[in-house]
Amino acid sequence: MTAVVVGASSGLGRALAVELARNGHDLLLVASDPRDLAVMAADLRLRYPVQTASLAIDLAGSTNPGARILEALDGLPPLSALLLPVGMSRNDDDGSLSAAGIGQMLAINLHAPIAIAHALLPALLATRGAIVGFGSIAGARGRSRNVVYASAKRGLETYFESLRHGHLPSALRVQFHKLGFLRSNLTFGMKLPLPAAEPEAIARTVVAALERGSFTRYQPRWWGQVALLVRSLPWFVFRRMRD
Amino acid sequence: MSPRRGFALAQLDLRSFDRSCAARCHVQKPDRYRLIEALPADVQRITRGAGVSYVDASFGEDCVVQDIGAFDRLIEFDAEQGLLTVEAGASVGDVTRFALGHGWLLPVVPGHPRASIGGCIAADVHGKNPARDGTFRRHVEAIELFDPVAGWLALDADDEAGRFDACFAGFGIPGLIGSATLRLVRAPAAYAMRSLHVASLVEAGEVLQAHAGAPVLYGWHDARPGHFGRGVVRYGLEAKEAERLGGRSPVDLPKAIAPWPLCAWNRLGIAAMNGWIQHRYAHAGPRHVAVEAALFPLNEARAYYAGFGTAGFVEAQWLVPHARYADFIEALHSAVSRLRPRISLIASKLFDGDPQGLSFDGRGIALAIQMPQPRERRQAAFIEALTTLALEHQARPNLIKDSSLDAASARRGIADFEAAREQLRRFDPGNLQRSGLTARLGL
Repeated sequence: MTAVVVGASSGLGRALAVELARNGHDLLLVASDPRDLAVMAADLRLRYPVQTASLAIDLAGSTNPGARILEALDGLPPLSALLLPVGMSRNDDDGSLSAAGIGQMLAINLHAPIAIAHALLPALLATRGAIVGFGSIAGARGRSRNVVYASAKRGLETYFESLRHGHLPSALRVQFHKLGFLRSNLTFGMKLPLPAAEPEAIARTVVAALERGSFTRYQPRWWGQVALLVRSLPWFVFRRMRD
Repeated sequence: MSPRRGFALAQLDLRSFDRSCAARCHVQKPDRYRLIEALPADVQRITRGAGVSYVDASFGEDCVVQDIGAFDRLIEFDAEQGLLTVEAGASVGDVTRFALGHGWLLPVVPGHPRASIGGCIAADVHGKNPARDGTFRRHVEAIELFDPVAGWLALDADDEAGRFDACFAGFGIPGLIGSATLRLVRAPAAYAMRSLHVASLVEAGEVLQAHAGAPVLYGWHDARPGHFGRGVVRYGLEAKEAERLGGRSPVDLPKAIAPWPLCAWNRLGIAAMNGWIQHRYAHAGPRHVAVEAALFPLNEARAYYAGFGTAGFVEAQWLVPHARYADFIEALHSAVSRLRPRISLIASKLFDGDPQGLSFDGRGIALAIQMPQPRERRQAAFIEALTTLALEHQARPNLIKDSSLDAASARRGIADFEAAREQLRRFDPGNLQRSGLTARLGL
């Protein structure tokens, strides 16, 4: 059975691809740069007895990325899981983004995951597969930083809630992981107020949970307490939290 | 220089493995090819692999450190020819495990299993018997290199041969090594390791030469005045069957080892350790040892390195020509008796190659002399005396090991140093590639 990983060339996506291959899943790797993908696919093929294919696609510029992914699945075993650890944040996402910048952020963080999920849904339903989305602690409450990013992630969470509403877990497992800080290229060098998790550890948890029904949960789980606290803060306190 | 998220710069404190060199550095940690290329072409930089070099070869002040640890993947494997292409951030331990799983072996690997393939090329490291297997350059077929100005270049012995050669012991100056194709050899099932006790370093030299064809060959020696040179020469022959393998499945030595608060290698500690070595290798053998365990003996040396404490250590490694070896040993013994330094261990190896560029190669016996607390007055005085002695005996220094070495000594120890330096800088006319090591040695 094949798993599709969108955003497979770095961070959590790369860790998920490795973990899936380690667990014997054939893979279609999707990311923007063919060089990264070619090396990833070759490495996984050499280390694990799995089939790998790759698709280089610019999610910000593609109106129908799902169709391209469906084409690329030709020749691979049936699709069993779609994982969407794809995302993009910007330092200047503070309410001052241009229309083009907003469009790019929404395309990568919201439009592409939804469009890909829509396109692959029939194949996933046919195999009673799993669709896995990734949100962010940034979406817990709107702040003056990561404005569009947090909006998109919260929108994506709502989309996954709709999927769960529409499909019994026996027909389609809909899983949504809301991520706390991750040690990745996005957070490298940043002073973070709470510990960052290793992508490999999160990947192990995500892959181990693939067969375990539908849910929305924080990763690592203790971030749920942090989110609860943040959401519980009175407005006059929360609005003072700028950093 | 302000952090720029486009290529993710952080300020980090980096330290050499011997803890003698440290700097606060701007570090970029790319995980995709476009991020390697994103660093502006006029920015001074140095490539960092695992960061386990004894010296400051992979970091420095006033430059951006490009940490290519994420580029650690296997790219292509020809199981018939034994050709393996890997990204330069791949560790020799990982490559060894993959190769052994397919019946092949990378014959030249340094002791630390986390050393990167790029680092092995940049330092042209030697392995367990350089007299038989040469240095790392002998086992590299091709290199892909990123030049900040020219972009990606494919190098091998036919195409851009000058730059290909310059990559070995080039200390990163010819550019960022992105990937390499390695020439593997068929792996034995195990090594049958034997231990021969020697009473002196001169005897060790004779034993090393008598077993020059062994795939594993090195000596460990006591350096205390009353026991100077006493030790054991270990040599391993290929075993056809992996019968009753000795040696546990090793866990890779960490990249950074937390030092103990105090230095354990005082005179009592050194005496205890040398006694343990004598006891551990009391039996001549043979004892069958897994290939991986034989190649990476440092995996069992975590406590040894932690024991140097926060002040760290220095390893001075000199390759002494055969003709001068006995005289050198006599002079070294005399200096040890006179200055009474604390030397935790001396390691001996046999070399039989032609020195090229700045590589640590030649014909003779190499002695690696490890000393704790190198800044202590008595220790520093001995290190200075050792350098003088070695140069007087026409010994060649190992630039990648010795953080106490200065530019003048390196120039005296390597006859064609200036020509090698000029050759390297031909490929970096803008002086973009620099590290603490290149600055210290005036490369």
